Amino acid sequence: MQDKIQQITEGFEAEISAVKDLKMLEELRLQYLSKKGLVSVLLEEFKQLPVDQKKELGQVVNKMKNQIQDRFNSVKTELEESGSVTDEFIDLSLPGRKKNIGTKHILTQTLDEIKDIFRVLGFSVQEGPELESDYYNFEALNFAPDHPARDMQDTFFVNEKFVLRTHTSPVQIRLMEEKKPPIRAIMPGKVYRNEAVSAKSYCLFHQVEGLYIDTDVTFAELKGMLISFVKQFFGEDTPYRFRKSFFPFTEPSAEMDIWWQPSGKEGRWMEILGCGMVDPNVLKNVGIDPEIYSGYAFGMGVERTAMRKYGIDDIRVFFDNDKRFLVQF
Amino acid sequence: MLISLNWIKEYINLDDISTEEIVDKLTYCGLEVDEVIDKGKDLKDFVVGFVKECGKHPNADKLSKCVVFDGEKDWSVVCGANNVAKGQKIIFAPTGTYIPGADFTLKKTNIRGEVSEGMICSEKELLLGNDHNGIMVLDEALIEGTPIAVALNVDDVQLEIAITPDRADALSHYGIARELAALFDRDVKKPVVKLSESDQDIKDLASVEVENVEDCPRYSAKVVTDVTIQESPEWLKKTLNSIGLRPINNVVDVTNFVLHELGQPLHAFDLDRLSGKKIIVKSAGEDQKFTTLDSKIQNVKAEDLFICDGDKPVALAGVMGGENSEVIDSTTNILIESAYFRPSRIRRTAKLVGISSDASYRFERGCNPAQTVFAAERAAQLIAELGGGKIAKGTIDVYPNKIEPLIVELRYERIEKILGYNVPLDSVILILNKLDLKVLKEDFGVLTVSVPPLRPDIEREIDLIEEVARIYGYDKIPEVTRVNVTLEKKTDQSEFVANAKKTLIGMGFNEIITNSLMTDEVAGKFGKSIPVLNPSSTSMSHLRTSLIPGALSTIAKNINVRENNLMLFEVGKTFNKISEGKIEDFSDFVEKEELTLVITGNNTNAEWYEKERKNDVYDLKGFVDEFLNKMSLDYMLQDSKNVKDSSIYSVCYSKIFKKEEYAVGGKINYKILKSFDIGQDVFVFTLNITELKKLRRKTVKFNELLKYPKMVRDAAFILDKNILNSDIELVIRKACSKLLKNIKLFDIFESDSLGEGKKSMAYQLEFYDESRTLTEEEVDSDFWKAIESVKSKFSAQLRGH
Repeated sequence: MQDKIQQITEGFEAEISAVKDLKMLEELRLQYLSKKGLVSVLLEEFKQLPVDQKKELGQVVNKMKNQIQDRFNSVKTELEESGSVTDEFIDLSLPGRKKNIGTKHILTQTLDEIKDIFRVLGFSVQEGPELESDYYNFEALNFAPDHPARDMQDTFFVNEKFVLRTHTSPVQIRLMEEKKPPIRAIMPGKVYRNEAVSAKSYCLFHQVEGLYIDTDVTFAELKGMLISFVKQFFGEDTPYRFRKSFFPFTEPSAEMDIWWQPSGKEGRWMEILGCGMVDPNVLKNVGIDPEIYSGYAFGMGVERTAMRKYGIDDIRVFFDNDKRFLVQF
Repeated sequence: MLISLNWIKEYINLDDISTEEIVDKLTYCGLEVDEVIDKGKDLKDFVVGFVKECGKHPNADKLSKCVVFDGEKDWSVVCGANNVAKGQKIIFAPTGTYIPGADFTLKKTNIRGEVSEGMICSEKELLLGNDHNGIMVLDEALIEGTPIAVALNVDDVQLEIAITPDRADALSHYGIARELAALFDRDVKKPVVKLSESDQDIKDLASVEVENVEDCPRYSAKVVTDVTIQESPEWLKKTLNSIGLRPINNVVDVTNFVLHELGQPLHAFDLDRLSGKKIIVKSAGEDQKFTTLDSKIQNVKAEDLFICDGDKPVALAGVMGGENSEVIDSTTNILIESAYFRPSRIRRTAKLVGISSDASYRFERGCNPAQTVFAAERAAQLIAELGGGKIAKGTIDVYPNKIEPLIVELRYERIEKILGYNVPLDSVILILNKLDLKVLKEDFGVLTVSVPPLRPDIEREIDLIEEVARIYGYDKIPEVTRVNVTLEKKTDQSEFVANAKKTLIGMGFNEIITNSLMTDEVAGKFGKSIPVLNPSSTSMSHLRTSLIPGALSTIAKNINVRENNLMLFEVGKTFNKISEGKIEDFSDFVEKEELTLVITGNNTNAEWYEKERKNDVYDLKGFVDEFLNKMSLDYMLQDSKNVKDSSIYSVCYSKIFKKEEYAVGGKINYKILKSFDIGQDVFVFTLNITELKKLRRKTVKFNELLKYPKMVRDAAFILDKNILNSDIELVIRKACSKLLKNIKLFDIFESDSLGEGKKSMAYQLEFYDESRTLTEEEVDSDFWKAIESVKSKFSAQLRGH
């Protein structure tokens, strides 16, 4: 038995010294320490021995068992901690198994970015119909029936009462009809213009408008808000200018330009949004007293904004949905 | 509107102000300058040259070898034009000049052995005209070295200004000058009219009667007799050319000149062609045809306004004159019409006949009724001067109800209240007065302002505040650094769709955005379509009734560029009529927000670790179910077989709740695919977002995590091929107690060994209880009941037992 013990101890020591990884160690464990392993078998044999021999060999057997177990544990810990590299052949130059994640359309991404900026600034998000009545699209917004201002937006008519909305401003009217001030919301959505399809214009585009009505809303605050937006969206150092314009639903009205400097070309001012103080006639149309309340409104085109930001020079590419375009963003 | 700066300078001194400053100021105050065309700058290197010598090129028959003197030195020039000759004054461009008509910069060259140091130019090379048949030969009197822009009198700056519809007063050179006067705080000079009238009284020559005073509040007229119709003098032709107008004859040119000078449209009638020498202004009275002076026959409505003579209409008021009374070469006596028409009347007529003339454009925006007589006099004076005519004594002026200046009160404190910054009171008064908005008095902070009729856009206090703001300068608005944020409840109506998009992107779909307008045919195939009254093309004549056609077109286009494997979705509105009749109200159509997802081509491509596999209807089902699950919508929606949409699908099913359909889709049928030119299977599902939003569980409740072990049992059955999975699951569920929680089908296969028409289906049943650990016995009891039930209901065999 003594010889056997020595044989096992030495054999184990020789083998464990050659162990290089956890896999080999596991094989060793099976060989020696499992239920049918050499150590267990030896222990079984030991149990069968007469009492006197047990007394004699008890300590030696125990010592052997503990020694092997300790040695095993320490090698195991060592290997685990060293994170030992396996010998198995792995070709890391193979491509990984593909996981396919989709893409949001770049217009949605741009719209989301705009929405996020205004939501942080305390604006709700409001939606409304695209097939809109003449009343909401024009009349309530202070477009007189026979005023040339109606020519500012080339309109698709369904009949004399219904149009494809030319701006998201009708949502402003619907909101003001529904809710008393304070009102602070943006209105994103599709709008339609009856223009020839070209690199510069499409029959529809996306707009985001904003509206803020309360007791102390001023033109200066509007300008400040929009400057903040431009800096956040286009970059802190973007040159901008704010100039007078005309919209039937705002008075005073303004447009904002940013300086556009395409690489290798001459820079120029480019209009990015229209805005102004909500015209008192519009407030009256929805039953808000312009002597008590004032408000501002602004609106911008998402396509144009995205074209600026990503250097896209043909608006049609947004609606072609070529996968090679979609996956770029 | 094209404006000539040289012309503007007739009315205001701008000598010390640069073009850049003018452009900036105009743009900031609302007259946006879109383009600056500076002829002088473009032509700065071109000079008048003298051809000192001209002989044949020794080595080329078609070329000449010249010596050109530019006032300082001689230049050797090889010229290809056949009209070049010794002694000519020509346009000379020395080496280094940029040639705008050819878009290159001249270099010293050697042409067939002869040095050429410059170029003798045609007018096309300078973009002065289209003539490139040889060089442009100049007036002999010109002096060598004179800049060409000066020599040719094109030393002008043109401004293309976008005039907003509210600014009728700015639609003329004098109007722009008036604006510049306010911006640069200087005076504007009105043209001086000095009339030398004949003894003949205008009342003996012509009469004017206005029947419709509402549409024609003022009608003024002058008469000039014994006029010779001839070409206009150089200065007038040049002036009209400078804003891109083609000179015609002295009378027409004068009316055009005054229109662009003062903004007052005029019309010149041949007085002798007016029956009864009479003008009657009245409504057409009945629908009729009328030939305008462009020889087009117009369909005129009863309410349109006519200018008539004694027996017939002679002009469509404010829009265009008639062919029957226009000035012709033999005309000698002229009646000049200078009227003010009601803007909305003119706009309706102009829209109706589809004419936007310089006159109607101004009338519909609102002309200045106060200046009709002045404009008529100005024209009479010029016509008499240029055509040798005599101005009849007096003016006809039918103006029964004088349009008085409007009195508007401006509360000074409202300026700061609206604008948010202070404009000093004296600045306010100065600005208003400069704009001809006379401050009559200032009492306790209230300014009483008299608004002349030339500014129809100013009616209210807020309009005056805008005037103050724009002239004071939008650039002077202080930049606020903090804003108010209101604290009412915030909502986001776009949230549901935003989440839906995020989920689909996570699943690998690409978002598309397609046109909402399509052909009648396609829109009709997918719903009850709504036509657009004025489509820009037949390919976009109807509103989309479904998102599917847009998705299919997108697939077809992508297959063309070999992008065959696609997973796409779109969220958008669709439009369907409810009734067949006209759309009178929002209840006559449905505008729905929908989400359509499509898959086509491979689900997995051939890769080193897997085989290629095409998408099929089960892939579609998987995507739909996973999407609904992530959107917390799966708990109530049931699959339901659908046969009604067979015109679109070859395999179709719906998602329903309480018998209402919330989504539908399947495999697109061959006919539809063929019509889109698609040769591979396409699977589509469309969800009604508008309705699903309402159905969605508002808050998801937390389920206590299971504390006791689950127990599973597997069983495989051999049964008839056409038995539905859902029927088997139902039988299993019925046979078991409520301890059975989940059934999972984990294998299906068919093989000859099973027998013909048979299949094997393997299920795993999962049992547990939230409150205790189950015993083997109770689970086995359920399990065997299920097996026996399936065996007897479907004549199935249990496999492997």
